[in-house]
Amino acid sequence: MDYTIETQDLTKQYGNLVAVNKLNIKVQHNTIHGFLGPNGAGKSTTIKILIGLLKATSGSATVLGKKVQLDDADSRLRIGYMPELPRFPKHLKGAELLDIYGRMYGMNPVELKEQISKLIELVGLKGRENDLIGKYSKGMQQRIGIAQALLTNPELVILDEPSMGLDPVGMVEVRELIKAISKDGMTVLVSSHLLFEVEQICSHVTIINRGQALVSDTLENVSHKISGPVSIQVEIVNLNQKVISSLKELPFVKEITQKNATLNINLNTREEVREKISQTITSSGGIIVSMSMKGHGLEDIFLELIKSQGAKK
Amino acid sequence: MSETKVSWMKRFWAVVRYEMLWNIRKKMFIGALIFAFIFATLNIALPAALGVSENPYFTVTFSVGSFVFVLFAIVTGAYCISGEYEKGTIIPLLTKPVSRTMVFLGKLFAIFIVILATYGVIYTYTIIGGLLVYGPQNSLHLVPLALLGDILSTFIWVGVVIVAGTISKNSLLAILTTLGLFVALLFGTSIVGQLSDNPGPLNYIPGSGASGTMNVMTGQNITISTVTINTFAATTTGTDSIGVNLIKATLYPDANVNFYYTDIQNLINPNSTEPPRLLYSESITLIAVRSAVFALLYTEILFVAALFVFKRWEISE
Repeated sequence: MDYTIETQDLTKQYGNLVAVNKLNIKVQHNTIHGFLGPNGAGKSTTIKILIGLLKATSGSATVLGKKVQLDDADSRLRIGYMPELPRFPKHLKGAELLDIYGRMYGMNPVELKEQISKLIELVGLKGRENDLIGKYSKGMQQRIGIAQALLTNPELVILDEPSMGLDPVGMVEVRELIKAISKDGMTVLVSSHLLFEVEQICSHVTIINRGQALVSDTLENVSHKISGPVSIQVEIVNLNQKVISSLKELPFVKEITQKNATLNINLNTREEVREKISQTITSSGGIIVSMSMKGHGLEDIFLELIKSQGAKK
Repeated sequence: MSETKVSWMKRFWAVVRYEMLWNIRKKMFIGALIFAFIFATLNIALPAALGVSENPYFTVTFSVGSFVFVLFAIVTGAYCISGEYEKGTIIPLLTKPVSRTMVFLGKLFAIFIVILATYGVIYTYTIIGGLLVYGPQNSLHLVPLALLGDILSTFIWVGVVIVAGTISKNSLLAILTTLGLFVALLFGTSIVGQLSDNPGPLNYIPGSGASGTMNVMTGQNITISTVTINTFAATTTGTDSIGVNLIKATLYPDANVNFYYTDIQNLINPNSTEPPRLLYSESITLIAVRSAVFALLYTEILFVAALFVFKRWEISE
């Protein structure tokens, strides 16, 4: 199977510091792939290698079927890239920047004008396109950054921390925008440290820490693959011994602890069992006030993986 | 987007436009332009203030001036590579389908256009000033030669500032290095040129070079205290005088420039009557061609070195 992005033992070293350590990732066509990791995990370094700004110390990377090399201009014709906290020349106006960048892609002026107008509207900069970028807020620079990455409707869009610097409304808009462009057939690689963002928009995820991929799969499979405790907290009215006994008889219940009217039920499965627990409590005379689950979200998986990598070291 | 259908030229022009807009919108550039006009005005007004009322060769012996060369080299070149790195704008630029060689050449070409246009305006101003102050001007058709010579002189300093910036990734350091080198060469070559009995090696160093007197006294004499200088005959051999020397060589291809040795004791002693000793003579054509060739050589070496370093940059921040 061909992948949009594929790395093999990709390594980047700065002296003794290993920023990317034998990284293997595969990004499928037409997916939104989250690239997740704490600060300093090696996300931006990996992206800079993929885009040709840095040279790998060893290993290789293939993007859109072409081996990545430092300064390979032609291969970037099919890639749109927005850097982390993008900084654009302050002396240019927003529309001017898009026009110049568009011409670097060889776009014809008529097509470019239409595309600029469409993108300015899409990223919410209508009315400010003729202002100098030096007068733009951080959020506006982020928006023009997204626009320039989408200029040519590229096959691959790489967005490095696209929500950084945006207000909550802007963050929601960007997420919607990413979902929309994926529907147009683009492959999107989104680097982020915002777990909820990746969880909301990505179909696939690679979790990276200390330069190594801890897991790389569909979001669903990642969830299933990770072992470890999943627990459910239930607040119950009429909590009695019968409820606790009935719950203990369930095969997937590992341990139950009680604190006032709340039971903490540790499970030995990641299957969806909330309905069975609910039925058991109700049939034993308990009334459920609230129920919450810990351990299935990306945040839990992420923390679990980081913790287990730390323990191995 | 197909990888093969996009022409090199389209992308190159986009880089040129990108750099040109940056150059002409810089406050530094506007400041340098004002300075250059003040300098040109002083050039027009000062000889008149010293009593020169007619000089048909005023315009063709005018040069934008070595400090102006350095000034425009710094204004246009100091930030063109290292400034992109410092500001972080290099990342979006180098992730576009433009190679580093294309970025480098595009930026250089933009600098060339900006300097050509700027000097063109200054020369136009000088032609008008020359006509108004010193009467009809001879050989105005040779002004483009002076313009090209001045651009060549400037490009050596553009090369110096770019290579310093590319190696250090620090624009301020590049500016200081360039200014330091300029000042050192300006004073160093002036002193050595006057006092040495072998000023020949100065012909091969960027800057003002050795000073001599051409055996054609077509210009006007300006007397300051006891020293009289003929505005046409006074000649310097360095890369800062390519334009003027090319014009002199075109007008008088067989003329020679004489180089003299002045004993320091004679300079200190105001009663000394001993004339400067003739060291050697050289053809003005040789001087003009040699300085142009060396300027091209320096420029090429500096740009190749800067490009070599730039192509190996890894953008990690």
